[in-house]
Amino acid sequence: MSDSKQQPLNNKVVEVMVKTILRKNGVQPDEVKNNIPEEQKQMIKEMVEDLKKQVEDFQQNQAKDKSE
Amino acid sequence: MSKVKEWRALDHCDDKRNKSQAIEEQDANQTNITKQQSEEWIVIKDSEYVHVETTDTQAAASLQIGIEAALAIVLRIAIADDGRVEDILQDFNQITKTRQSNRQKTIVEKSKDVNITTIDTDIAINLQLLIQLLLAVIVSLDIL
Repeated sequence: MSDSKQQPLNNKVVEVMVKTILRKNGVQPDEVKNNIPEEQKQMIKEMVEDLKKQVEDFQQNQAKDKSE
Repeated sequence: MSKVKEWRALDHCDDKRNKSQAIEEQDANQTNITKQQSEEWIVIKDSEYVHVETTDTQAAASLQIGIEAALAIVLRIAIADDGRVEDILQDFNQITKTRQSNRQKTIVEKSKDVNITTIDTDIAINLQLLIQLLLAVIVSLDIL
């Protein structure tokens, strides 16, 4: 189903919003990058990938229900 | 003017299951109301053989909590200052909490052999937005 795949907000818009919020709160991405150990970066990466997959599965189930 | 008698499922209940207790079972199921978090109402009254499929709001809600927790974890790892993390999370909330409430009402009355499928688009959109936000944070902080 195409409509369930549709992004509620354009990715660029979200990115700009996030960057604005981070800057507003005085976060420097370059500093932050060095704060995180490689091991934790890997952990975060896996966690996010897993959540992303769960959301995709959920959307797919919905699309399937709709087309039945 | 004589009033035409309305068709009622309970008046002539054809029992496809070949069981004798059909009438009692139907009475118990007469008004089956399901209310979910998103205020979805499905009212089935005086009907038989109604099949309902609806959004699994429980699954969506726990997934939503998972993403929100992940967002907080990522920010806490990345930014040592807890006060600042709270401020950032509050700012994010302003984006994600713009959710409209979903009020669907489905009423089935005096019907038989009905299939109902409802979808909570708001919950799906909210999840999508949260995961987009999480990904954008990770990209912005250069973690990936």
